[in-house]
Amino acid sequence: MNALSAPAAPPRQRDGLRHRPRLAVDAVVVAGVLAVVAVGLSTDRFVTVANAKAIITSASLVGIAALGLTLIMIGGSAVSLAISQSVAAIGMIFLSAQSLGLIPALVIAVVVGALITGLQGAVVGYAAANPVVLTIAASFAIAGLATGISGGVSVAPSGLGYDHLNATPGGVALSVYVLLVLALSLEWVLRRTAFGRSLYMVGENRVAARAAGMPVGRTTTVAWLAAGALFAVTAVFTAAFNTSANVNLGGTLTFDAIAAVLAGGTPISGGRGSALRTLAGALLVSAVSDILLLRGYSTGVQVMVKGLIVLAVVVLVHLRTRESHA
Amino acid sequence: MQQRLTSSSPRTSEPLVRVDGLAKSYGSTRAVRAASFSIAAGEIHALCGHNGAGKSTVVKMLSGQETPDEGAIHLGGEALDLRTRQVAQRHGVALVDQELSVVPSLTVAENLVLGDGRTPWVNRRASPRSRALLDSVGLEHVGLDQPLGSLGIGERQLIEVARALGQDARLVILDEPTATLSDVESEYVYASVRKVAAAGCAVLFVSHRLGEVLTLCDRVTVMRDGQVVATSTSGELTIDSLIEQMLGEAPHHPQKVTAAEVDRDVVLSVEGLTVPGRVQDFALSLQAGRVYAVAGQLGSGASDVLRAIAGLVPEATASVTVDGARVAVGRPIAAVRAGIAFVSNDRKSEGLFLDKPVSWNLLATRLPDVTRLGVVSRRRWTARLSALVELCGLDRGRVGQSVGALSGGNQQKVFVGRCLGRDDVRVLLLDEPTRGVDVGGRAAIHTLLRDAAGAGLAVLFSSTELEELLDLADVVVTMHKGVVVQRHEGEPASAVLLREMTHGAGDSAAHGAVVAAGGDR
Repeated sequence: MNALSAPAAPPRQRDGLRHRPRLAVDAVVVAGVLAVVAVGLSTDRFVTVANAKAIITSASLVGIAALGLTLIMIGGSAVSLAISQSVAAIGMIFLSAQSLGLIPALVIAVVVGALITGLQGAVVGYAAANPVVLTIAASFAIAGLATGISGGVSVAPSGLGYDHLNATPGGVALSVYVLLVLALSLEWVLRRTAFGRSLYMVGENRVAARAAGMPVGRTTTVAWLAAGALFAVTAVFTAAFNTSANVNLGGTLTFDAIAAVLAGGTPISGGRGSALRTLAGALLVSAVSDILLLRGYSTGVQVMVKGLIVLAVVVLVHLRTRESHA
Repeated sequence: MQQRLTSSSPRTSEPLVRVDGLAKSYGSTRAVRAASFSIAAGEIHALCGHNGAGKSTVVKMLSGQETPDEGAIHLGGEALDLRTRQVAQRHGVALVDQELSVVPSLTVAENLVLGDGRTPWVNRRASPRSRALLDSVGLEHVGLDQPLGSLGIGERQLIEVARALGQDARLVILDEPTATLSDVESEYVYASVRKVAAAGCAVLFVSHRLGEVLTLCDRVTVMRDGQVVATSTSGELTIDSLIEQMLGEAPHHPQKVTAAEVDRDVVLSVEGLTVPGRVQDFALSLQAGRVYAVAGQLGSGASDVLRAIAGLVPEATASVTVDGARVAVGRPIAAVRAGIAFVSNDRKSEGLFLDKPVSWNLLATRLPDVTRLGVVSRRRWTARLSALVELCGLDRGRVGQSVGALSGGNQQKVFVGRCLGRDDVRVLLLDEPTRGVDVGGRAAIHTLLRDAAGAGLAVLFSSTELEELLDLADVVVTMHKGVVVQRHEGEPASAVLLREMTHGAGDSAAHGAVVAAGGDR
């Protein structure tokens, strides 16, 4: 009868349902970031150009390796625990190859880096090896080989070309520019290419991808190859900065990179995540460490807080995923 | 005592379970509005409905997984506030879920007491009580200390039924307990459900299998669009009248295209397919444009035949050719490249990417078609997607939603749709294509498959359901215990099919084909 009382158009169902519960979790994230900013602002010498540079520079080395690890995690192969050892070995190779010139040394470092990690990826991708076990084994193998060949001493650079990597164009370390360019390109690759989409799907459900005839082994191997190349980029910058390299060059990089990826909210179970999130995670971890350092806390506290950040983000990501599936 | 209360007198003064005006909304979607019905002690009460009718939501509210917005649930005259599944369980509501919730790495005995709030720890010892529970669902041959992982999917479902039976419940809810079971296994479930009812429990039986609803249940409540349409005693109903209540329209039987021509091209030819311990020497050739079925109960090898052709059974040996070219067996990627697309019966773990949007799932296997030099072309992506969405009859507005948020029927459409509209696919294999799919979705999928055959594909599916076999297949091959029993063209009698599926060739010497197949070994 009355046109006005006609039933409303069917509601755009679920959209409201799916987004509302996330708000609570999002609020926690925003509050957390604001808290970090507030503590930062109230910390002496935090808001200085020099300090900002220090934060992004320290984020850049971990960040580049973390980008590589992001690929591995999205592809559903959990983690590589051989990052530190790969970086140390590549750093040594890079400095020894300086006599060939900077560019050939870079090419050698990236290619060898990609191969070392890509080989592990092939075993994970084609033979379905457990990545955790495999990379623990690889970490010992790489460290052993590096120690054996170098005789356990530090490798000194055989040329001076490496020093170009320590350049600071515009007053900011070269590695920062490299990190930004790599993060943006990787984000594009993940979002816009067939490889990126396959990687997300292989990572979410490997069995389904295999049954659908998707190239599971190839996708996994390519992801690890690219990750190895990114580890190598971190390695050359780290070696150039230290002007020498030994088997301990990688330090705690493995776990720092894992922390950065997890702090960015990429779940370890695969199928989700992004390069930009990892970039944010690396910056967050770096900023918090910096605040603690400026406030005079000991290394022990810094490490502990890093762990707490990772834990908090992992819990938040879990809650958010669960709510959106409810 | 209630012991003697039988299903013949469901209407007593106060029903054991009374559901009054239940309502539940999700955001602005009213999933259930004013649902009321009652179940007497000793009654088996069916809840039926088209997909999205609100059955699942009602079940969730009764079992404490969702809190109703309005309305009340009375159990034994007492209004209950069921906030969690544990609370519901303590009040005597037991649920056998649609999805399996058993733990493969634990033993059968451990799974039987899993989640039972009354025992603080899991008793590893086999108790006589657990033994009796197993026997009551027809699992006499299963040992209590056997790991659950060694059982088939049907047996696991029976374990779950046994677990619910063991909880001394007053209301037992079975949410599609037989969806994944063969007819023989279903009989065990029916028998145990009857026992539970005879012991004085109220049983709520949610099912898509209308035949079993009518034979098993005392009364049937039908829901449509979140509302209860009618509650009738099952004697007043027929399958057709039930479907009419569910759909609000008279059922139509899909037009079966009789594929009479016999001299068409053979697309897929399979010879000597053997899977150790499961399939013996299976052979079949498929012609383009026809729909073939392998009919067999769980464990007959029907499903193994399909999986082996799809390359998912590494230990299988066979000679498989597609359009005359040999295909290596045991590698799914080789099968896919040869033009064999496979739709698994387990779309959650072996099919879809539940977390990803519908669009990604539909295009997952044709990324090369929608990319240029490895980069996704928006134009091709959208064009391909809208063609597929149209083909599968999906809601255009939902392509961005994750597949996990869709109903079972729509998920299956996405899964089947992923294999359609591709020039490189020559053969479509479907293992139980309508498992866990409602009546409407089933008809839609059958139409999709007929159209696919019409477009020149060879379609081969496995099924345990007579209705599906008769509706859909041009050729039915029955299997029993790993060997082919008989090949039927045209319209076989359902009684013949059922006998062959459940008893094989029997002692009859007339089935020469089987004797020959058996003699080859």
